[in-house]
Amino acid sequence: MGITELSGLESLLVALSGIVTVFMMLAVLCLMIPVISKTVASIEGKKSAPVPAPAAPAPAPAAPAPSASGGTYTGEVALIGCDEKTAAMVMAIVSYETGIPLDQLIFHKIKAL
Amino acid sequence: MEFSFIEVIRRILAESGFAAFANEPRNLIMIVIACVLLYMGIGKKFEPLLLVPIAFGILMANFPLTGILDEGGLFKYFYFGVEHAIYPSIIFLGIGAMTDFGPLIARPSSLLLGAAAQFGIFTAFLLALALGFPAAVAAAIGVIGGADGPTAILTASKLAPAYLPAIAIAAYSYMALIPMIQPPLMRLLTTENERKIKMEQLRTVSKAEKIIFPIAVAIFVILLIPDTAPLIGMLMLGNLFRECGVTDRLSDTAQNALCNIVTIFLGLSVGCKAVAETFLTWDTIKIIILGLLAFMLSTCGGLLLGKVMCKLTGGKINPLIGSAGVSAVPMAARVSQMEGQKANPSNFLLMHAMGPNVAGVIGSAVAAGFMIKVFGL
Repeated sequence: MGITELSGLESLLVALSGIVTVFMMLAVLCLMIPVISKTVASIEGKKSAPVPAPAAPAPAPAAPAPSASGGTYTGEVALIGCDEKTAAMVMAIVSYETGIPLDQLIFHKIKAL
Repeated sequence: MEFSFIEVIRRILAESGFAAFANEPRNLIMIVIACVLLYMGIGKKFEPLLLVPIAFGILMANFPLTGILDEGGLFKYFYFGVEHAIYPSIIFLGIGAMTDFGPLIARPSSLLLGAAAQFGIFTAFLLALALGFPAAVAAAIGVIGGADGPTAILTASKLAPAYLPAIAIAAYSYMALIPMIQPPLMRLLTTENERKIKMEQLRTVSKAEKIIFPIAVAIFVILLIPDTAPLIGMLMLGNLFRECGVTDRLSDTAQNALCNIVTIFLGLSVGCKAVAETFLTWDTIKIIILGLLAFMLSTCGGLLLGKVMCKLTGGKINPLIGSAGVSAVPMAARVSQMEGQKANPSNFLLMHAMGPNVAGVIGSAVAAGFMIKVFGL
């Protein structure tokens, strides 16, 4: 059976305990969310960790990798008798035709024939 | 038997609803009120999806001699869904399916703003007691301050069924009037510099976090306050439909078809209880005034905690997002965005305000659960 009659002091206590309950409940959720996030991040981190390298050494790549971190190659491309726009088009066409992404291709020199 | 055309016409008129107005002329006033609400819904676009069915329900309920509210009448069956908290819970399912908890997960401190914006519920409860309402009715009136229609309806149906229409109409009217009620308070309680604060971009929330969140909240909140089960349970189920990625059809149904169907029943059921003899009283006027105060105080609570958080974080939080802690998703967040942009045109607060906004939904459900726990039979 719920409360039906309240004195002034009881009313204040009910109101106070109500707002405290709401705050406590949401504060606990506030603390719970980072725990969930960290747990999820650690589980996902483990899942996405690289598979251990095979025992046999992989054959050496024909060309040097763009960069150790997987970023883009920042070296210079020598353009001989060719402007930058044409060079960009040539790079894009080579990438498309060979199926090798641009960030894995290294161009040393582009020369107009 | 002699047929008299005049006599038939006289009898039709004497037994019509028009003649019955003589016995209860207050029904005419209710019909005028229904027409005003219809105008507000259709003409002014104030929460039209709810106000139109509510207003039409009022219209239907106040036609004499229809028997629509009596045993076996259509509205008697519709009202079953309100009496047993079925409609508000299904609406919460739809709200859950429409809500992205990402901004809340990205900034968990938003939950505290959602809690502060429930301040109006408890102060309006005290004011209602001071005005002589019984404790359970005062509790139901206070919940208007949560700015959450389904929660207000659920609480009123459990604690103050006789006052349900007035409480529902007050709740939805003020929700519709948020763009008028909140901005003056926001400008009053914050400085120009505070309103100009630009907030840092939120981090990306992973899919797994979004899936675990509704399950964890349901387990924790419902176990602690079982009376919140209908609202929190359905809200979180709807959100799980949305986020889990394997129930797209259910999510779509909850967001659209189901929510729309239940909105029709809910609106009509609430409206049909607004009959002249129970609605046209001083208590209704008091409830309308208390509802407005509750709403304003909740807004102030959120803004003031927003100011405190602004100070504590060295100006990283714009206090305007605090006012979005009143539920009213997403209108309250839009108001924060508009006010922030007025102060600084390059300010984009919408996503930041969505955190407190959805936290307010959880907060008002917890507050309602508390009231039902304390005052429920």
